[in-house]
This record gives sequence, structure tokens and C-alpha cells, in this order.
Amino acid sequence: MPPKIETRFGRIRVERRVGYGRLYSISMTLLSLALAFLVVALILTSLGLDPIKAFQVIFGVFTKPSLLLESIKQSIPICLAALGLSIAFKMNFWNIGAEGQIYMGMIASTGIVLLHEYYGFFYEWMIMPLMFLTSFLLGGAWCLIPGALKARLGVNEILPTLMLNYVAILIVDFLVHGPWRDPKGYGFPLSIPFPEYAKLNIVLGDPAYTGLLLSILGAAAAFFLLEYTRPGFEIKVVGQSPAVARYAGIHVRSTILLGSFLAGGLAGIGGLSIVSGIIGRLRPGASPGYGYTAIIVAALAGLNPWVIVAVSIFFGGLITAGGALQMSMGIPKAAAQMIQAVIFLMILVGEFIKRYKVTIERPRVGEE
Amino acid sequence: MEKLVELRGIVKRFPGVVANDRVDFELRRGEVHALLGENGAGKTTLMNILYGLYKPDEGEIYVRGRRVELKSPKDAISLGIGMVHQNFRLVESHTVLENIILGLGEDKLRIDFEKHRRRIMELAERYGWRIDPMARIWQLSAGEKQQVELLKILYRGAEILILDEPTSVLTVQETRRLFEALRRMAREGKGIIFITHKLNEVMEVSDRVTVMRKGRVVITKETRETTKAELANYMIGRPIVFGQKKVSAKLGSIVLKVIDLKVLGDRGYPAINGVSLEVRRGEILGIAGVSGNGQVELAEAIAGLRRPLAGRILLNGVDVTGMDAGKMIELGVAYIPPEGNKLGIVPGFRVVDNLFLKAYRYPPYSNNLLLNWGKMLEKAQELIEEFGIVTPSALSRTSSLSGGNIQRLILARELSGIVGGIPRLIVAAYPTKGLDIGATEFVHDLLLRYKEMGSGIIFISEDLEELLLLSDRIAVISGGRIRGVLAREEADAEKIGLLMSEAVIQAG
Amino acid sequence: MIEWIESVLGLTIQVGTVYLLASLGEIYAERSGVLNLGLEGIMVMGAALSFIFTLAYGHLAAILISVIAGILMSLILAVMAVYMRLNQTVTGLALTMLGLGLSGFLASPEVRKVILLALNPSLPESLLAIQEAPKLPEIHVPLLSGIPIIGCFFRQNVLVYVSYIAAPLMWFILFKTRPGLSLRSVGENPAAADAMGINVFRVRCLATMISGGFAGLAGAYLFLGFQPFWQEGLTAGKGFIALSLVILSTWNPLRAILGAYLFGGVEVIQYRLQLFGLGALSPYLLAMLPYLAAIAALVAVSIESVRKRIGVPASLGIPYSREE
Repeated sequence: MPPKIETRFGRIRVERRVGYGRLYSISMTLLSLALAFLVVALILTSLGLDPIKAFQVIFGVFTKPSLLLESIKQSIPICLAALGLSIAFKMNFWNIGAEGQIYMGMIASTGIVLLHEYYGFFYEWMIMPLMFLTSFLLGGAWCLIPGALKARLGVNEILPTLMLNYVAILIVDFLVHGPWRDPKGYGFPLSIPFPEYAKLNIVLGDPAYTGLLLSILGAAAAFFLLEYTRPGFEIKVVGQSPAVARYAGIHVRSTILLGSFLAGGLAGIGGLSIVSGIIGRLRPGASPGYGYTAIIVAALAGLNPWVIVAVSIFFGGLITAGGALQMSMGIPKAAAQMIQAVIFLMILVGEFIKRYKVTIERPRVGEE
Repeated sequence: MEKLVELRGIVKRFPGVVANDRVDFELRRGEVHALLGENGAGKTTLMNILYGLYKPDEGEIYVRGRRVELKSPKDAISLGIGMVHQNFRLVESHTVLENIILGLGEDKLRIDFEKHRRRIMELAERYGWRIDPMARIWQLSAGEKQQVELLKILYRGAEILILDEPTSVLTVQETRRLFEALRRMAREGKGIIFITHKLNEVMEVSDRVTVMRKGRVVITKETRETTKAELANYMIGRPIVFGQKKVSAKLGSIVLKVIDLKVLGDRGYPAINGVSLEVRRGEILGIAGVSGNGQVELAEAIAGLRRPLAGRILLNGVDVTGMDAGKMIELGVAYIPPEGNKLGIVPGFRVVDNLFLKAYRYPPYSNNLLLNWGKMLEKAQELIEEFGIVTPSALSRTSSLSGGNIQRLILARELSGIVGGIPRLIVAAYPTKGLDIGATEFVHDLLLRYKEMGSGIIFISEDLEELLLLSDRIAVISGGRIRGVLAREEADAEKIGLLMSEAVIQAG
Repeated sequence: MIEWIESVLGLTIQVGTVYLLASLGEIYAERSGVLNLGLEGIMVMGAALSFIFTLAYGHLAAILISVIAGILMSLILAVMAVYMRLNQTVTGLALTMLGLGLSGFLASPEVRKVILLALNPSLPESLLAIQEAPKLPEIHVPLLSGIPIIGCFFRQNVLVYVSYIAAPLMWFILFKTRPGLSLRSVGENPAAADAMGINVFRVRCLATMISGGFAGLAGAYLFLGFQPFWQEGLTAGKGFIALSLVILSTWNPLRAILGAYLFGGVEVIQYRLQLFGLGALSPYLLAMLPYLAAIAALVAVSIESVRKRIGVPASLGIPYSREE
């Protein structure tokens, strides 16, 4: 029985809504989106920019084939990281460190390429699989650090995962300004460009398609893990209540370690998709906040792996749109991030309205 | 005699239930008025309305003859109404003083610690309490914490005191002290409303008693004009027969042996301080005692959820001390945790998920890493029928089940043997708390059936009648120690009560 | 030698004050049970706004606007996390993203120009394109600034002096006054406070706004206080480090002073090492120090708290509802 919650804020009464249908849920989400765009339109107008033209550009990103492919390409790292987050969040592990884990994945991939190019390690056909393996391992390890801190010492994971983001970014800065700098790069902080065998273009020679396949495989893996395997079940129980998990005989510590490792690993592969598919080399700021966007995506998708794929493409589109807006209208790139945040906030509000009914109480006749 | 409080025609509805159905109630100055009823009768809801925590859907409230509308506890407090809840509303890490003056409008900005300290000590002395205002709440015993709660409301000049099940956490001596203080307050002209479901207390301390059942007032009587049996009748609606004996079975070999067990509680103090006991196959060992004396810690230690500090636990002769819960489950120990619908299930999960919360990792429900939902759903359907769980399907959300059905789910999970057959040992902690008569009888019958099948059962309860009904032997626990073990034939409420209070006398 | 100590100490205070200001407000929010992850976003907004408004009007206006903006932004968090009971972590992050995006947007050359002209049409061309603003001047306290070593405490800008007064004042309010007691009780046991007639929602809302105001102030200080040069990533996680600082200081404003200067010291060491060009130690590796220090601090506290029961406000992060 859902309890009735009363607040005494003025004469406003907030009640928990009892049972609402799928249709209602979806329409409220769409309403929130519409509200978000309204807010953005207001901001743009107040600064003398044409909102209608801006929205044309944004929607154009999804309709023009070339831009759509670009959106899908941008969505890959977001999607993979968000899939990892769906595992972490289901375990009640607030992994804010997806960004750093992505960077570590990039480092691992680049490292393998360099080992081959500089020192002749491995055979060419081994590179791609090794890249996948090491990105997963290094990304997983990076998330395992805060995971272990939580499991063994009870340190809340929010701040450690966050701090490690900055550390990872700095490690990349260090490598790319120093030992990994491309000697033929005119002094710019870049690694060597990835050779063909290390590029993510297995499907139709295009990273967008390959990446899409990767996203779908990732979603399938995450879904399968959580619904049909023992570790997945344990992850969910631990996420709901560690006390109940212990009562059920589940090892909470090992579960946390496993869950955090898997989450980081997926983000690590997201990193691979950036250096191998999107940019083609390692450079500072290679991720414009994909890891943070992934958090929004995971939250909006309700941690459902399949919905995550779709929502990632939407946000990939927003990022592409950001670039397009800058080129065509001179709107700074930061606008994309701002729009993302506004959408996020509006949808959170929408969640609230879905769950609670707000009525205004009028005093009955005769009452004081 | 002045009427301090009058409630007329109070109606309060929650989704799916009418908690208060046209209730009339009054409190006179200088009286202790007991509000009696079973769990869920509507007593606490009614008092929450009087205290301004709830707003009644219909009805009127009169305080000292004037009609009032209470929008929040603040209004109630300003009218001189104070409430002491069952679970204390105290800030553990703050001092007694800080808790008492919280929300007081007196000091402008800066707190005058000295003034308050003096006043609190004077007030405490008036009622015979010894309290250090600078002590931190977590350092106090349950009885002392309750004194702080009372001081909180007395400090604000409360004339109308509402106490919700105040003795549930007190020892016998603390209860005596409380009753003395209450009578003193009544003599001073205050009015006291005393919510309880314990008939003894009603007879001992109240002047009048109002019985509620299923949201309605059954009757209001002068205490000296009624008897326990009569009140029990009003409370339940049919006469209770006390102490009826049920099935007795053949006892087998020793299933559980606990030797000099010491277990730490959550605060770091020993909750179990040298307990030894034995349970045989086919035997129900009841554990009597006021809750909070180590029962739960003992149960958790046996179930593998709490590592003992010292001592040994032997299951069928095998030393299992310190083994974790998973291992104990495999060895055939079933644990029915207290407050099952909060701690024993995951509310957000489906029924089938909760049924297999422990068994999911064993074949045929899983092989290696994969789960076999087909098999689980099949078995779930069987269990739902066998244990009478009322649910639309095995895939429904567990949170939509009623408390009684959730308990059936837990019993189905623990007792049905989906993990390796009939459990060898069943540890049941307050399994019928909060359940209605029908569900309670179901639990009793079920446990008796398993007793017949040869399981050894540890049955922890606060309800003496229940213990006398089911147990073959009753162990009395107090202060982390077993004070005595009585066989069913020689046990009665008096002897048990004596054993429970022994610890208090020893502790001084 | 004395000059060296003084310059290091002075710099430590300068750098540490950012952390101090941010954490003072956050201590109040967390003491009431609200975790404000939007701190970083509010700080960067404070910096961006102080940049724009200093150019348009001057320092005082800039500081005021930053504080007000901080209060308004945290009001969003307050409404969503306290009244709507949405998850505080998620909402706070959304707020930070909003702040980061919005500040980058407003401070970008094109948009900035529009805003500046709207605010102060008579601004000269040169100011419209400039990337920096005048720094807050140092104010030397007459007698005290002459004392060797300690004198450097009194050769700072006005906001540092504000922090000197704010910290002990906030400590006093928190532990010795009635509103402070109410605040702490709300954070420890909101049900208890509610039963005593305290409006839990209002207290939390106010506490959140205080953290926002201080965060905005910290952002303004960060920009105007030592390096008034606008660039992307100006805050670089300082807001989040402040959150670690709050935990390290065990939610005590006086301990926050020590913690803030400790972190300031770490950063100063980082700068000094860079200057001395410690061999091949790259500036990037050194820049990791504050973040690693934050993690170390968190680990240290959690080990301590197991032993000494250093109180995390019991209801931190948990939305309150009067559910019976």
C-alpha cells in the first residue's frame, strides 16, 4: 500500500500517485523534453539568437544521413559507459568515475598500439583483441580502486570515483606531452595516429556501424548478466539492501568488487572506441565529458540496457548538434552541455510529477 | 471533572483502510486513561491526530473545551499536548540537554546552557529520576531514554501526555518507576493517555480504559469495574482461552548445542554474555524476555549472520562456530528474521525472486553461472499454493503483498526445503509480530507441523501466551544471559516474570 | 628565510581560502542532511559571473551577483532534493553540469560581448574582448600586517578577511545557538526534529541555499582572488575537493580552516616544485597531488570513524518524508 505523504508547505498537498500506466509515463517524459526545449529556447532568445534555426540544426542531426552516422559514432562511448553504469547503479554503486575509466581505456588501447609500433610486440592480428582486453582490464581496475575502498573500508564511492577522473585525465596529459608524443606531430601533444589494423572499422569499414554493433552486443551482455546469471542476481540484491543480501548468504564485498570492475571495464571499452573509432589517436581532452553524459543517459533510461542504446544516440546527436550549432550559428560548444543539463533537470522534474500528485487544498467551510 | 481533551467523530482513511471510524474519546484532568487494542486497531493513528501529525478526514478536536485545529505538532505542543512515541525520537549523538531544548522558542539566539541544565535537573528530581543533562543519548539505557522523552514534553509544560506502548522496551523495575511517575503526574492534575495492548498494565495503572478494535471504539469503562478477561474479550471479539496445550511430539537427538556463547551487539557491548542451551529434534524451545536483551543477536549468531566473540555452536555435533550465513543455509538452518517485511525480503523484487533469495544458487535452479527461471517459476507456483500466499502471480511485486502474505512468503522460502530438504533447525524471531489472528494461527500450525517432522525450533517471542502455547521448554533471557529454563508443565507467567526480573535485582 | 616562509604561508592562505569558503557553506548543508554535489557547478558560475560583472560594474557588484546566483542555483537543488525528494547525487550532478555548461556559454567571447553591452552599453571596445579582469586588491591591516610571519595573514584581500570572520562565526552559530541546534538535529534525526515542531524542509532548504551562496562566493574569489584570467576548466574539481574537505573536517567549521589550508599547502607545494623544475617531474603528475590527497583524506577519515565514531550526519543524502 503506497503511503500517503503530507507536507505542510502552505496549503499544498502532495500525494503519492497510485498506479500509472506506461502511456502516462512516456507522455510525461515527452512533456519534460518539450519543457526542456522551451527553457533552452528562452535562453537563446534572451541572448538575441534565433531558437527556431537552432532547433532546425539540432533535429537535422537526426535526419541527415551523414550527421546521423556521426551521432551514432559519438554515441558509442556514451552507450558503453552507460551500460557499465547500469550495472553499477543497480548495485547502488554511484560510479561518477566513468569519465576517468574511459580515459584509462584509451591509455590501454594506445599503449598496445605503441608497444607494437615502437617495439614490435605482438602480431598485427592480435592488436585489436588485445586492445579490447586491456581496455576492459584497465578501466575495470580504475573502478576497482574506489570499489575496494567501499567494500573494505566503507568509503563512499562518489568522491573517490570523481577524484580519479581528474587523475586519469592528468595521466593522459602527462603521457601525451611526454613519452607518448608523436615525434612527427610538430610538437603538438598527440600520439601517433592509429594504423589501419587498430581502427574500429570491422563492419562496413565504418566506425559508426562497428560501434553500433558493439553497443548492441554490450547491451545484450549487460541485459543477460543482470537477468540470467547468478552474479547479476547478487548485484541486484546487494543494490537493494546489503543487509538482506548478507542474510541471503551473498558475499557483499566480492559482489561490490565484481560489479565495480565490470562497470569500469565497459567504460574502458568506451575509451577504446574513442581513440580507435572517433579520433584515431590519443590527445588531451579526447573525451568531452562522455562519462558524465553517460550518467544522464543511464538515469534517463531507467537503467534499461536497450533504452540506453537509444538514449545514447539521442545524446550523441546533441553533441554533434553542438558542433553544428557552433559552425552555423556561432553558438559556443558549451551550449551542448548546457542543453544536456537542462534536459536532465526537466526530466527529473517529470519523474517527480509522474510519481506525485500535487493538489491545492481549500479549507472546508466552517473550519478555522 | 474537567475534560482536557475531547475527540468527536474522528474519521481517518488511508488507501485501502479506514484507520479511525467515527471515534469518540475523552480525557479527564488527573486521570490515566488507557487506550487498549491489538496491533492495527487504530490507537496510534488516533493519537497522531491528537498530536497534530495527521489531519482527520472528519470529526472535531476539543482541548480544554475549545475547538481546535492542529496543523502540526507545533500547534499541539503549544496547547500543552506532548507525545512519547514507541520508537524514540531522540538524536543519539546529542546530549540530553540538547534533545530536551530542541525547538524551544525560549532563547533568542544563544543557548543558555547553565540555565537549562539547572531546570532539567530540578524537573527530573521532581519525578524521582536521576539524569545527567550532559550525557549523550547513546550512553543511556532504554528506560533513561524514555525519561528524556518525558522530560522533553514536561519541560514544555505539557498537561496532556500521550504515551505509545511505553513499556515495550522497559524492564520490570523500570516499568514500576514509570508508573509511579505517571501517578504523580496525574495527582498534579495532568491527564495521561496510555496506549497499550498489555492487559496487566491496564489493570495496574489506569483509571479508565477505552478499547478499540478495527478502527472503532468498542467501549470505555472505569478500570475498577472490569476484568482482564472482559477486556480481552472486547479487544479480540471472542473469548481468549489462556494457555491451551497443543501437540507434543517425541524428542530426538540434540540438533543444536550452544556452549558459553558471547556475541557483541551493534554498539560494541556484549549483547550475549555467556549463553548455553540445547535444542532437540522435534522440540520447540521458546525464548522469553523483553526485546532488546540479546535475542536477535543470539539468533543471528546461530544463523551465521553475526560472528561470536567466544563460545561454540554445534550443529548435530559438528562445530559450526563462526561459519557464515551461506554455509549455515547449506547445513539446513532456516532463519525467520524479525520484521520480515523490512529485513527478510527485497520489496522491489518479484515474488519469485524473493522465494529464491537463498536457493537461487543451488541446482536445479541454477547451474554454474546461469539461472533457470523456468524451474524457479514452476516451483514458485507450487509454493504459492502450498503456503497459501495471496498474490496475482509469481511475477508480482512483493511490495504489493500484505504483511501476512509476506510472512507466508518468508516461511515458504525458509521452511519448504527448496534448499536441501526439511530444515534441521528453525530459528524464528518474533515471527507473528504485527500479524492478525488468522496469519498468526497459520504460523503456529506451520511450526507445529515442522516440529512433528523432526525439526528443532528456537522460537523467540515477547508474547507469553504464545510461548506457553507452543513451547516444550521455555528459556528466559535477560541482560544477555539465560536466567532459567522451565519445562512447559511447570511454566507460568509468574515464574517467567520472576526470572526476567532477576537480572534487574542483581544489577542493582 | 623569513620572507620565504611568509610568501609560502601567504600563498597557502590565498589558495586555501577557496576551499575554506566553499566548505563552510557545504558543512551547513550536509549538517542538515543535504549533499550538494552541485558545488562545482555553482563555483564555476560564480567565477564566470564575477568575470563578466567585474568588467561591467566592478568588484562589489561581481561578488554580490555571484553570491546571489549561487543561492538561486542551490535553490534548484533544494526544491528538487528536499521538497521533491529526488535523489541528491543525481540532482547535484545535473546542477554541476548545468553550471559548467552555462558558465562556459556565458563567458564565451561571443555571448559575453552581448551580455556586457546589455549591462553597460558604455563599455570601451577593449574590455569587450579581454580575457581577464582586475584582481582584488590586497588590504593591509594597519598594525598587524607589520608583524613578521603572522603579518602575512593580514596582507590579503577582503574576501580572505571575510573567511577569517565567517569560520569562527559559523562554528559558534552551529554549536552554541538555537538555530544551529535545530540544524544539527535535522541532519541527525529529522523525525525527531519534526516531532518537536521544526520544519525539516525549510531548514534543509535554507542550509542548501547557504552552501550555494558560499560556493558562489568561493567561485568569485577563485577568479578575482589570484588569477583573474578566464579559461576553460578554471575550477578543475576544486568544488569536489571541497566536498572531501568537509568530510575531513568532520563537519566542523574550525577544523575546516585547518583542512583548507592543508589543501592549499598541497597546491602551493605543487607550484613550488614546478618552479624548481624537479627533474623530469612533469607538471601534470604534480597536479594530481590535490586529488590524491583528497582520496587519502577520505580513507583516513573512514578508518578513524570506525574507531572514534566521528559522526557523519546520520540522515545525509536521505530525503525526508513524514511516513508513518
